[in-house]
Amino acid sequence: MYWIGIVLCVALGVIFGSKLPIMSYVLTKYMSIAVLAALDSVFGGIRAYLEDSFDNLVFMTGFVVNTLLAAGLAYLGDLLRVELYLAAVVVFGVRIFQNLAIIRRYLLKKY
Amino acid sequence: MRNKGAQLSLALVCLIVGTMFGIQYKTTSFYKASLVPARIEDLTAQLNGVTGERDNLSQKVASLNQQLEDIRNSDKEMANLQKELQLDNMVGGLYPVEGPGVSITMSESSSSLQTNENANGSIVNVLDILRLVNELRASGAEAITVNDQRITAMSEIHWSGSMIVVNQNRIAPPFHIQAIGDPSMLESGMSLKGGYLETLKFTGVQVEMKKVEKIKMAAYNGSTKMTFGKAVN
Repeated sequence: MYWIGIVLCVALGVIFGSKLPIMSYVLTKYMSIAVLAALDSVFGGIRAYLEDSFDNLVFMTGFVVNTLLAAGLAYLGDLLRVELYLAAVVVFGVRIFQNLAIIRRYLLKKY
Repeated sequence: MRNKGAQLSLALVCLIVGTMFGIQYKTTSFYKASLVPARIEDLTAQLNGVTGERDNLSQKVASLNQQLEDIRNSDKEMANLQKELQLDNMVGGLYPVEGPGVSITMSESSSSLQTNENANGSIVNVLDILRLVNELRASGAEAITVNDQRITAMSEIHWSGSMIVVNQNRIAPPFHIQAIGDPSMLESGMSLKGGYLETLKFTGVQVEMKKVEKIKMAAYNGSTKMTFGKAVN
């Protein structure tokens, strides 16, 4: 039943987030990278949870640091006029898909 | 390690991610609605391009304004020259004019000749016209026509055979002299005691003078030439 919990939490977050004031346009770029990193952390956490290798400290630090680092790297890339956020997009995208694949296999095996 | 802590932290992270989703979605949809989110770099490049263009254009505007000024100045000179030329032509009789003035009509006496009168006396003489024209000039006329012949600087009024000729055109009675100028000045100038108009009346010529609100005079339409005269600088 933890799927329902996850969906519920995300839905609650979306509702809460949509009540908050909008950000400045410049920030949306970094926010999108941060969202991607956070999503990667979430899927990684779910995967670890399913694999019974979940470490709370690793998960939380990974979530916070990855998110901030992704946004920070994108900002740094903008400062240096290197499109570093592309690297973050590629890396997190690949990892999200890998995690999703592993979760899928796990679920297939389970049911 | 499927314990409460793991579930709690997952739930928390999911909440945070959801919040980020919410903000991000709201923001992007807001900006999508309000402006086409062209990349900032593109916009900067466009801005730079447009700014450069604007600078160029403003320089152009300045130079064009300068040109316009020059043209206006030369145009002003041209306009002044045109005006001067027009004035000279009007004075010389080479340009149509209109304005207030007086109109004098002379016709042969309608009454039959008296026995003691000279037949020649009642016929309008070329000198009568010449003197009237001269008197009109003296009274301040600016433009004069005799039977619609504009009197120019070189117009002649002379007797040729049995006809009066003005501007090499024969004119016949009734004679009709028009003058543009201050109507009351002209009238009073012409009807002075001992003036020629009065003299004419004694000779039996029917003379009628009236002020006219608006006289239109055509230009002298003959040729103007200066074959022997040369401009002296």
